[in-house]
Amino acid sequence: MANPTVRVGDVVPTGTFWYVPYTPETDDLAACGVPTKISTDAWKGKKVVLISVPGAFTPTCHANHLPPYIQKYDEFKAKGVDQIAVVTANDAFVMSGWGKALGFKDKSQLTETFPQILPLSDPTAAWTSQLGLSVDLSKANELGLGLRTSRFALILDDLKITYLGVEPARGVTVSGADAVLAAL
Amino acid sequence: MANPTVRVGDVVPTGTFWYVPYTPETDDLAACGVPTKISTDAWKGKKVVLISVPGAFTPTCHANHLPPYIQKYDEFKAKGVDQIAVVTANDAFVMSGWGKALGFKDKILPLSDPTAAWTSQLGLSVDLSKANELGLGLRTSRFALILDDLKITYLGVEPARGVTVSGADAVLAAL
Repeated sequence: MANPTVRVGDVVPTGTFWYVPYTPETDDLAACGVPTKISTDAWKGKKVVLISVPGAFTPTCHANHLPPYIQKYDEFKAKGVDQIAVVTANDAFVMSGWGKALGFKDKSQLTETFPQILPLSDPTAAWTSQLGLSVDLSKANELGLGLRTSRFALILDDLKITYLGVEPARGVTVSGADAVLAAL
Repeated sequence: MANPTVRVGDVVPTGTFWYVPYTPETDDLAACGVPTKISTDAWKGKKVVLISVPGAFTPTCHANHLPPYIQKYDEFKAKGVDQIAVVTANDAFVMSGWGKALGFKDKILPLSDPTAAWTSQLGLSVDLSKANELGLGLRTSRFALILDDLKITYLGVEPARGVTVSGADAVLAAL
């Protein structure tokens, strides 16, 4: 289990992720976009919900963790959330494909260009490791999963952690949509 | 570009891959299966087409490389191919999801070669770590090979971007 080195009240370290921007034209699973970078600086002054799962298309997180965030998107917006993002150590192409598969559509208004859920790639779990929230799955089996991001959700307000829910075991509890909504 | 250390006529080294078996029940993108291992031993006595691409959901390979193999599946079977498989260094869960997205069904086997371990033994892995900061790491290069009882009878390694010698038409012509 991950041992976070950050706590509520801390400002998260600066980090850079990769993602493939959503466009209606490339929303098809057979289309590919171009990865681009995004810094945590983009979240200055904003309220962000960041979810982390060990991998795209993996059990638990895949079928049960993300869909409630999509279904309750409007409830998150009503509580003042500017952005919901999900991060894994998978590459940006995989995150984009996974997002399309799960239906991370673009419900943004007017000038806001971020999609409903932003699929972020933290290669080698570099940023997540700075929070003490990466997990080494290399020895678990020979699947070759390597260093991954653990399962958690956090709420950032102007880059300061106001909620940190790290799953203590398999399953979705403190990192799930309902727990995070209750904390907003 | 990859520099293969194997050639036509060689028997491929033994290797083990991970994959999530296809079942109609778990073919939905929201469902997950359980990864299991498969050895190259499973291909003894069989005719296999193995395609390799740098990554699931990446450009070129994703939109253009695999679909013709699915469309022309019957032509491959008519030429005696027992199995078409595609391998990358992505994990088995990603390969399974990608296969569902592209419609592999039970026609194309999505294999995971973690850390490109087996593909490296063929001299066909490619280090994409320095290319940019995308964090792609060590990957399998783009190629296709035909195995007959584990012996390479065709090896098409792409020399540049694009799909030529590793594409469905080139492989069909070699069968």
